[in-house]
Amino acid sequence: MMQAWLILAAALFSLGLFGLLTRRNAVGILLSVELMANAVNVVLVAFGRWHGVADGQVFALFTTAITVAEAAIGLALVILLYRQRQDVLVDAATEMRG
Amino acid sequence: MLELTPLQWAQLALWVPLLSAVVLAAVWPLRKAGGPAAGVSLVAATVNLAAAAVLLFGWLNGAEDVRHTAPWLIGGQGLIELGVHLDGVSVSMLLVVAVVAWGVQVFSLGYLADEPKAGFGRYYTWQSLFLFSMNSLVLAPNLLQLFLGWELVGLCSYLLIGYWFTKPSAAKAALKAFWVTKFADMGLLLGLIVLYTHTGGFEWTATTTAATTVTLLFFLAVMGKSAQFPLHIWLPDAMEGPTPVSALLHAATMVAAGVFLVVRAAPLFAQAPLTGEVMTWIGAFTALFAASIAVVQTDIKKVLAYSTCSQLGYMVAALGSGAVLGGYFHLTTHAFFKALLFLAAGGLIHAVHSNEISHMGGLLKKLPVTGWTFIIGALALAGFPGFSGFFSKDLILEGVAHQGQWVPLAMLLVGAFLTAFYMGRVVFIALLGAPSEHAAHAHEGGGSMKLPLLVLAVPALALGFFAGPVAGLWGHEYHFHLGWVGLTASALGLAGIGLSWVMFAKGGAQGLLAAFAPVGALARSGAVDRLWATGYRQGLQVLGGAIAWLDRYVIDALMNLIGYLSLALGDRLRAVQTGNVRDYVYAVVAGLLLLGAWGAMFPG
Repeated sequence: MMQAWLILAAALFSLGLFGLLTRRNAVGILLSVELMANAVNVVLVAFGRWHGVADGQVFALFTTAITVAEAAIGLALVILLYRQRQDVLVDAATEMRG
Repeated sequence: MLELTPLQWAQLALWVPLLSAVVLAAVWPLRKAGGPAAGVSLVAATVNLAAAAVLLFGWLNGAEDVRHTAPWLIGGQGLIELGVHLDGVSVSMLLVVAVVAWGVQVFSLGYLADEPKAGFGRYYTWQSLFLFSMNSLVLAPNLLQLFLGWELVGLCSYLLIGYWFTKPSAAKAALKAFWVTKFADMGLLLGLIVLYTHTGGFEWTATTTAATTVTLLFFLAVMGKSAQFPLHIWLPDAMEGPTPVSALLHAATMVAAGVFLVVRAAPLFAQAPLTGEVMTWIGAFTALFAASIAVVQTDIKKVLAYSTCSQLGYMVAALGSGAVLGGYFHLTTHAFFKALLFLAAGGLIHAVHSNEISHMGGLLKKLPVTGWTFIIGALALAGFPGFSGFFSKDLILEGVAHQGQWVPLAMLLVGAFLTAFYMGRVVFIALLGAPSEHAAHAHEGGGSMKLPLLVLAVPALALGFFAGPVAGLWGHEYHFHLGWVGLTASALGLAGIGLSWVMFAKGGAQGLLAAFAPVGALARSGAVDRLWATGYRQGLQVLGGAIAWLDRYVIDALMNLIGYLSLALGDRLRAVQTGNVRDYVYAVVAGLLLLGAWGAMFPG
């Protein structure tokens, strides 16, 4: 069973990574990051169960909380971006070029 | 009579003058009162004189040497001590200093009587400080304390030369003396450092392989303090100070500190034949050079100043040739007769209010005591047979001849002729010549200006006959013996006096004056001063130029290069910051992959 959970996690992570690399939409990128974070959560819970301890679940809860905070900041940034440019396409936003 | 041990007498000689200086410095109402301040200083000088006399009497009767030290600093290689060392050398020097200092302080009562009270008090404060400084130098049990005293007397010299500090020339002369001697004193400091690193102490009895380095460095300091060519340039200028100061510091005691150092460190100097050779040549050259300049000076103090340079040259040459007894004995006799000459010159100056010998003339009749004591001093300086200078100069010349140093010996003999000649010139013009209008109202000073002259005239006249006991003090033997060198020197001295009589009393042989014209031109042009000044300036400019070049083209260039490289690199690195979020994401993923690859390749 452990193997199945890890395959699921790897698939989720890969999906997220693919989305992260290919999306142009800032919201899409944020969603992809959430997917990857959840893949990590799956791994934490799976290993916690494997070892028969609660540490994995506790840590997953922590991760969730932190991810929520991160998503809040990310979405706030996206809204600001939208107010500036009337779109959320990241390719065009290159004002920070050195 | 007080029953005190020699050590207690020495402590008295050391601390009473310091106490006087501190009291006069701290209690300003006393200092500003003038006369009472002089009284305090004079009491200290008298106690010092009594202590020195008792000590010398003890040592003439074969007292045991005393060494008393107290720890001062914990050095890297042991304890550094200060204290008192009493032996024949220090005790006799102590008495020389005490007698001259006492005479000078008494003389100053009359000489500086017209000074403002505050200045008078200030003068005596410094006189007391000088007495303490010189005693701490003379009584030093090691070379480090000698160095401390050496610097202290240098400070007193600066203060006393600049006594009339509102006069620009006096302030300048004080500074010049300070700078020139300080430049030379670096040699003493460096020599002490080398000595300490080699022997772990400051003992003059040390045996070391670095003796030549150490003594050559010491000799640099001696050249500064004892005004040897080419570092003699400060001494003639130092005559800006009051005449009694010139008598005490710049003729009898402080300038002799250089010679005293060599006498004290004789065991070290004996290990360095090269230093001795250098000393003989420089001393002999200074003796001749300064004597020839003294011939053309018209200022009586300048004549005596150059004469002091010249006589110190004799001492240095003697010590260089290993004639320690001759050098030290001449120091002693010279201290008395030169202090006498300066004080008597002060009396003459006081009478006519001018330093020019041409403004004097016929003063012997008006100032008999001053005049006759001056003549005694002049005869002693000229080495007239029977006078003290005759015996000590003979010892020096015999010593140099004994070493087979024929060229220096010739210089010293010519110097002896010139010495007699220039002293004859001063005597025949200032004392016996036709009276000038400046001298019309000249009259002798009071008792305080006569007594020191009479006191100093005794050793100037007769010390030579006590050469035996004095030599015994220093562990030497003395037997009077007049060889061909001594006879030649005496003949040359008499010839010098005779020639000056012909030229300045009879007005003959005036053509010879032209012979000295080039020397006069050289002396007036201040060539040596200028050489130093330009050397200093050019040296500093060249050094400064080199440093500026290094700063501009090496250090600045290095900094500029670093700046340029940072800018260029930054310019290249700018391209990395595209501002596109996805590029950053790619970079993060690439980094992640690299880390993964790393972990896979090197597990654990």
